[in-house]
Amino acid sequence: MGFTFEEGPLLETEWYNFDALNVPKDHPARDMQDTFFIKDEEERVLRTHTSPVQVRYMEAQTKKGIQPPYRVIVPGKVFRNEATDMTHEAEFFQIEGLAVGEDVTLANLKGTLARFFSELFKGASVEVRFRPSFFPFVEPGVEVDMRLVGSDVPDKLRDKWIEMMGAGMVHPSVLKNAGVDPRKYRGFAFGMGLDRLAMLRWGIDDVRLMHSADLRFVNQF
Amino acid sequence: MKVSRNWLQAFFNDPLPSAQELADALTFHAFEIEEVVNSGSDDILDVKVTPNRGHDCLSHRGIARELSAILMKPVKEDPLRVQINLEPPTDAVSVSIAEPTLCRRYIAGYIRGVKVGPSPEWLKNSLEAVGQRSINNVVDATNYVMFNLGQPLHAFDAGQLRAENGAFAIEVRKAKAGENMIALDDKEYTLADTMLVIADTHANAAIGIAGVKGGKPAGITEATKDIIIESANFDGVSVRRTAAALKLRTDASSRFEQVISPELAAYGMYAAAKLIVELAGGEIVGFVDEYPLVAEKKQTEVTTAFVNATLGTELQDTDIEAALTRLDLAHVQEGGKFVVNVPFERLDILIPEDLVEEIARIAGYDKIPAVELPKLSEPVAVNTNFYWTDRICEFLIGRGFSEIFTSIFAEEGDRAVLNKVDSVRPYLRRDLLVGLREALDKNVRNKDLLGLRQVKLFEIGTRWSKDSESVILGIAVEHIKKEKSTTDFLRELGESLGVTIAEVIDLPAEALAKAGVEEIDLSALLPKLSVPDAYGTAPSSTTERYQPFSKYPFMVRDVALWTPSGTSPEDVLAVISAHAGELLVRSELFDRFEKEGKVSYAFRLIFQSFDKTLTDGDTNERMESIYTGLKEKGYEIR
Repeated sequence: MGFTFEEGPLLETEWYNFDALNVPKDHPARDMQDTFFIKDEEERVLRTHTSPVQVRYMEAQTKKGIQPPYRVIVPGKVFRNEATDMTHEAEFFQIEGLAVGEDVTLANLKGTLARFFSELFKGASVEVRFRPSFFPFVEPGVEVDMRLVGSDVPDKLRDKWIEMMGAGMVHPSVLKNAGVDPRKYRGFAFGMGLDRLAMLRWGIDDVRLMHSADLRFVNQF
Repeated sequence: MKVSRNWLQAFFNDPLPSAQELADALTFHAFEIEEVVNSGSDDILDVKVTPNRGHDCLSHRGIARELSAILMKPVKEDPLRVQINLEPPTDAVSVSIAEPTLCRRYIAGYIRGVKVGPSPEWLKNSLEAVGQRSINNVVDATNYVMFNLGQPLHAFDAGQLRAENGAFAIEVRKAKAGENMIALDDKEYTLADTMLVIADTHANAAIGIAGVKGGKPAGITEATKDIIIESANFDGVSVRRTAAALKLRTDASSRFEQVISPELAAYGMYAAAKLIVELAGGEIVGFVDEYPLVAEKKQTEVTTAFVNATLGTELQDTDIEAALTRLDLAHVQEGGKFVVNVPFERLDILIPEDLVEEIARIAGYDKIPAVELPKLSEPVAVNTNFYWTDRICEFLIGRGFSEIFTSIFAEEGDRAVLNKVDSVRPYLRRDLLVGLREALDKNVRNKDLLGLRQVKLFEIGTRWSKDSESVILGIAVEHIKKEKSTTDFLRELGESLGVTIAEVIDLPAEALAKAGVEEIDLSALLPKLSVPDAYGTAPSSTTERYQPFSKYPFMVRDVALWTPSGTSPEDVLAVISAHAGELLVRSELFDRFEKEGKVSYAFRLIFQSFDKTLTDGDTNERMESIYTGLKEKGYEIR
């Protein structure tokens, strides 16, 4: 589908993790994520999502004089300052997707995700639906649900809508902050928890196993 | 936010559908619903209002408007669209705002001769439905208006304020450093000079923490006769900081935090004054409205072409028109262009994209087709780091290594986290070695269960020094005589990458190799490798489903036996399995030799239960059964 890999630092500046993504200081939207701050280093956080790489990547491209189309996916570790249990880890993996061009639409997001899920679940029949949601760095913003249909789908997953990720059309302020002209280009972005995805895909019941370094778990894959 | 179905019904002539249908309507067109709870004759929906709609939807009126747009049911009368006037003015109260950027509007309403008492049943029920406790008719009225319209209000006992020349004076100012106030929760708060307060000018005392909580001394009691109602607009950031600093988050502060329009204050005051007189009697003396800078009216425009180009839809002008009308977004249409006069409370609508979202969610996201991205003319650029990282994984996995992830948090390091919730291991790790060492020890203990000859682990992860962050490959190899060590594997890895690692980056000290763990800096190594022109195949798993494993310890037993020539290990294992039962989780041939026409086999058997820790007795019992089976077959146990 034309996406390349991209990466970024885990220890981020508040600018890339929040401000550039349209999450100003003291905005209630910052409460949406529990952030680890760093001692004696102002404006430094462990990134709460892979989205800062959106801005870093676009900025690097425009600085090199390379205009869209851009298509990247960014897998990587992210951090939330919360207590851990079977479904919560303070360190986990996310995958971010970004496609920017003159003609990228929300319909392309639906098409891209349908294809992605279908390949992940080995060609199973997949339905994708959007629900309205809000993330400061996209507008419109949606929550994406997926449903697997067909007889070869494991019982636990068949015909059930599962919340997969947040997504939407990149907010023009984010494009602008990254040096991309929002009057000429638009794009979609999505961000999804990889641990949760793996848990669904392989029927794993405890997210902490993923980070346990326990070969009784690891060597099954 | 808790929303009562009965409360919502009051906005409509038509009967509303069931709570579940309301929940679905909101889910697919507005907000997530946390839960729907039936409580007797009412249903309560817990609506997760998104931060962009905190301006207008933290209220029953806001949710009713949403439902009106979604279900295409007109509201009877929208309290924010009726003409109101706050008459008469009065000079019995004066208001001065010392901080107009933090308080954009302050309306005081003076009512004399109220009779404070219990609220009527309908009001008690309404408040209880949304999780509030009824206090008295005056306080309940102000709370009711907040939950109905979204405007926080407060009522002061005028009898507790100081009048001079027959007039009260209210001041909105910053607190004096160290100024104290006992709030309605009976706690004493020490205020900082960054916090905004409402003060009784004549008494020179704080009577409320602006937008957060009222003070106890001027609180409404049974004895209260005259009241001053406050309907004001406070700055979101200021309220948020104050509430956070005092650890005092209230229904009022959480609404101001989201930023509300100063226009709303007038509607709040109008409704509250009306309701109080209705419930508690009294006479409205008059209102003071301090509103230095009137909020500007906003317009935002969008075209049908822009909507379709963003969504990938083929909506018509008529579809856009219909969506805007349903949303009560007054607009002027010129061909395919729509100029929307944004209602004052919709502070979220600023740019064309905001209108696109409004149209999309009302038209329905199910109308958006799934279309793959167009093909790119340029080949995909290859990320060198990912390419080489994959090759390293491939190499190590090919040599029996397992990839693990350990925590980035450590007991020691050069940088620390400031606010870790669990406060253990607060440092960012400065190497991967400690985690790898721990993981190695842990897994070596399970070696027999895992059926591994030698435990070999690697992690590709991040470490931090004082001023940098780098990606590291760490490997851990169980020390076994005559088997390869970490250093051997690193050397071979280098060969496979086409470099002599020691020549391109610094290798770790030899001491580490002895401990069975080593790490190399990939951030330094990878840039020295050639740039590939295409991604290779990424290592992937063929596993279909994960099998949970037992958390209980396992037991190991060996069995050695003589068998007649021509007996295969499978023949023996079949007998063992048949007599071992479910507790046998792994069996492995570890020795075989022939002598005098007989074959000797030795098997290692691993026993484990999913339900309990096995005792020697449990295991011996299984072994006895196996011995019996083997003997019956004519094998000779050694």
